[in-house]
Amino acid sequence: MTQSQPESTTTTSDPSSRSTEFVAVQGGGETTSAASLLIAAYAVMWGLVFAFVFLSWRRQARVETRISELEKAIAAGGADGSGRQ
Amino acid sequence: MTGTKDKLFYGLLALTAAIFVYLIGYIFLATPLAQLQAGGLAQKIFYFHVPAAYAMYLCGAVCCISSGLYLYSPTDTRDAAARAGADCAVVFGAMVLASGPLWAKKAWGVYWTWDPRLTTTLLSVLVFVSVVMLRAFAGNGEAERKFASALGVLGVVTLPIIHYAVVMWGGNHPTVITKTGGGLRHPAMTHALMVGFLAMTLLAGLLVWCRTRLTLSLSRVARLEEQAIATGQID
Repeated sequence: MTQSQPESTTTTSDPSSRSTEFVAVQGGGETTSAASLLIAAYAVMWGLVFAFVFLSWRRQARVETRISELEKAIAAGGADGSGRQ
Repeated sequence: MTGTKDKLFYGLLALTAAIFVYLIGYIFLATPLAQLQAGGLAQKIFYFHVPAAYAMYLCGAVCCISSGLYLYSPTDTRDAAARAGADCAVVFGAMVLASGPLWAKKAWGVYWTWDPRLTTTLLSVLVFVSVVMLRAFAGNGEAERKFASALGVLGVVTLPIIHYAVVMWGGNHPTVITKTGGGLRHPAMTHALMVGFLAMTLLAGLLVWCRTRLTLSLSRVARLEEQAIATGQID
């Protein structure tokens, strides 16, 4: 299958002006917004703290429930001598 | 918790929250921008980043001391405090390792480089992660507790190395608040950092307290389950 080459519509008139290789440069300008980095840092730090507190609180609540269940079971067993959970 | 402990806990919690609100307001409204080489606006990460690193040291010290005491004379409270110290050291270490690269992107142009302080901080956090993983997945027997305690004592050895890494091996990290550094050249910057240290100390104390209480509750569940199984109340 042959395909005819489209006529060039590019605005680059001089092919020799294109990059033919990429070369590392020292001290390239840092363009990332300081404000976005600052907000991201604060969000991540507070996110970590709140996630840790929330997970600890949820686990503590589950453990407290389990303790009261076990204490009830033991107390019931002590009362009638045959209680099973 | 008992009534007095409850009051103390919630009082400290309210005080910590108030100090953090004040600190955030102060950082954004009163502290001046630093020079562009230090990150400009992104330098304001410093007021949480450095105190979080300090809080990691504190929690690591709690883990080390409690682990040492546990190895000397085992009790549930010492084991719980050691475990809580390691848990909190990981959280504060994660805060440091997350906030540092975001600041570094602006100040150094890269998120991560194998700078001596970054590398030693990562290693230290990984030691505490190993303590947490060991306690979470290797059971709660006496041998596991003692092995984790030994690891907790060893973990704290890495903390002075982090601190002196900049002095010993150089690297990209600023030496602003070391003996050879020029210090913070504005009173508002110094004030914000000092308040940051206070706030993070209180936060570290509260988190260690909560985690110690949780671990003690878990030990109590284990004992009650043994009792209930022994008396035939549960299978």
